[in-house]
Amino acid sequence: MPDEEVLEEGVLNPTKPEIQDPLLKSILVENAAPATDPTELEQPAPLPEPNEIVDCVVIGTGAGGAPLLARLAMAGLKVVALEAGPRRDPARDYATDEKAQNFLFWNDERLSAGQNPVAFGKNNSGTGVGGSTLHYTAYTPRAHADDLTLHRDFGQGVDWPFGIEELEPYYEELEHFLGISGPTPYPWNPGRRKGYPLAPLPLNGAAQLMQRACAQLGIQTSPAANAALSARYYQEGIGWREACTNRGFCQAGCNRGAKASMDVTFLPLAESYGAEIRADAFVTEIERDATGRVTGVVYEQYGQTVRQRCRHLFLCAGAVETPRLLMLNELALNSGHVGKNFMAHPGMQVWGTFPEDIRPYKGIPGGLISEDTHRPKNADFAGGYLLQSIGVMPVTFATQMVRQRKLWGQALRNYMRSYNHIAGINILGDCLPHKANFLELSEEKDARGLPKPRLHFTAQENEQRMNRHAEQLMRQIWEAAGATDIWAFERYAHVIGTARMGLSGDDAVVNPDGRAFDVPNLYICDNSVFPSALSVNPALTIMALSLRTADKFLASLR
Amino acid sequence: MPQYPAGTVRAMLSTDLVTPATRAALEARLVSAADHAPQFFDTATYALLEAVAARIFPQPERDEPIALALGIDKRLAAGLADGWRYDAMPPDREAFRLGLGGINQAAQAQFQQLFVALNDAEQDAVLEQVAAGTAPGENWKAVPQSRFFEDLLAELTENYYAHPLAQEEIGYVGMADGPGWQRIGLDELEDREPDPISN
Repeated sequence: MPDEEVLEEGVLNPTKPEIQDPLLKSILVENAAPATDPTELEQPAPLPEPNEIVDCVVIGTGAGGAPLLARLAMAGLKVVALEAGPRRDPARDYATDEKAQNFLFWNDERLSAGQNPVAFGKNNSGTGVGGSTLHYTAYTPRAHADDLTLHRDFGQGVDWPFGIEELEPYYEELEHFLGISGPTPYPWNPGRRKGYPLAPLPLNGAAQLMQRACAQLGIQTSPAANAALSARYYQEGIGWREACTNRGFCQAGCNRGAKASMDVTFLPLAESYGAEIRADAFVTEIERDATGRVTGVVYEQYGQTVRQRCRHLFLCAGAVETPRLLMLNELALNSGHVGKNFMAHPGMQVWGTFPEDIRPYKGIPGGLISEDTHRPKNADFAGGYLLQSIGVMPVTFATQMVRQRKLWGQALRNYMRSYNHIAGINILGDCLPHKANFLELSEEKDARGLPKPRLHFTAQENEQRMNRHAEQLMRQIWEAAGATDIWAFERYAHVIGTARMGLSGDDAVVNPDGRAFDVPNLYICDNSVFPSALSVNPALTIMALSLRTADKFLASLR
Repeated sequence: MPQYPAGTVRAMLSTDLVTPATRAALEARLVSAADHAPQFFDTATYALLEAVAARIFPQPERDEPIALALGIDKRLAAGLADGWRYDAMPPDREAFRLGLGGINQAAQAQFQQLFVALNDAEQDAVLEQVAAGTAPGENWKAVPQSRFFEDLLAELTENYYAHPLAQEEIGYVGMADGPGWQRIGLDELEDREPDPISN
């Protein structure tokens, strides 16, 4: 092994003079070319006119950036989106193979601290035109009215600065635009004005097992709402999208366009209205004038440093990169809340082995839902959670399993031979903000010479109580379903709250319209602005906020 | 414990049941790694990692075991990360240097020999200590051994079950992604999903 001292991890593309190790130096030289080549789908963009000022720059093309990009373009504004990752062609480039799809994840290293260190990479983050929606599970339940009022109802956390009526019109619009497949009426909110446009997707083995056991136990279930098409669907800006073929690979990228990721929905819509999307553009600086207004951004693309001037900036880089950019640029920090209030959803899983042949790789992973646990009667915690059945890809399952069970040797191979007979359920539950849970910049630098983010997370009393409640219930369900060898995996997913929204700049970073209190032409829209974590998966609500932020901004121009 | 018929995945890879992108990913892993010269580790350390991998994934039935150390060597040489690491751990290269050295220190303390010189049972005894966080050795002051073992185990597991033959072993057929799946409920199989030959 080379005789070396502590070296930087992460991608090692740029040459850093402080790197002394000869092996590493040669790697850097070798890697330099491929790391800066555009994919076939990308035109090496002409450098923008140094003095051209566009109306809006949007940083990030995921659930936070893409919907508002389309909205702004449709309003006739000149908009440019900067995406750190590449643009790819799913039909041609996506393999049905977990390891080959690692390019979908934000693989620059983040440091996970605290008593319950949160996994990133494939667990939590995305890169590429479409952001994390390229690998989200497509699970799209709406938030409930009381998800926004935890403080009012329990005296804990903070309330959202508006009620659910502000989000509902956008939920409706999104469900119909994206083509969400789900049950109508929705059992836990039957009074909705509009139902889902498509029938639910078919149930796979895990969903059927959960359905059967819950029926026995008196727990109501329903096929879940998923942003994957149960039938062909016409998509404005792109044409017909084909129905889901039950490939089961949502979390490693849909190669068919059936899943409503941003690259097959809002982004082509935005481009059809003149928006420009620049891939492989990694923003490093946000520039301001003497009055504190943003004047433009600086980014790295294909080995060049580029400046793009703008009148307004929309920061939609996700709840790690958004606060990291704010901290690196010392921007919008007056509240002291950038990086604070880091919340992650309790996502405990319970697995079991069944006599039935399940083949957990088939079908939409989150087929079945129950929200009977949204506000459980016997709860000793604030908030609540949802229950879902889970299908799982083999490598994801195996690696999570060994981290929990520490099986190795023949016992490991023997257990994995039962893969086709294994099914899981998991929860997604609310999380309260706590002073121990936050993001900071570490002293350790990444390959770009920027400090790596360090995220501290320790599940507090409320999360622990919720986990205990959920584990007991899920074990009961799996026992009723006939499982043996039942085991639980405590995990946390999604990154939330690190630039939160509120009524006052004393305890929040952005106002109820999504505009930074400190910077008049800076908007933030992604899961970092959530005041509370919600008891549902965040993607649909991020998109709803994105459309709402665009509408509030456009109204302010009039 | 189900056993699935051998040879099915290789046979399937040459058919239209598999899309070109998926075939390319899997066929690359079927290329023999026997003559791989380590790029990151020195020869002795690479042999130590291979010996550890052989106890985590014993493959007595295979003439040429699925190569597991190879992927780690390539990843560390390329300086790639998977998006995160435990803050309590040093950077990956350092962690491997210290952790593998610690395994040798534990082997020396218990059996007065290098890990690679031990028999299977002795090697397992050392690894059990590391997994439990009770192995002796100076290096473990700088790297938490149960976290090191967890990370190592997870990466070897990823490399093993990403291999087409390991996927065949567990009856995984998701790579047959040309057509969709119609029969997805309990006990519903399609023709390209092999039945187990024994339970």
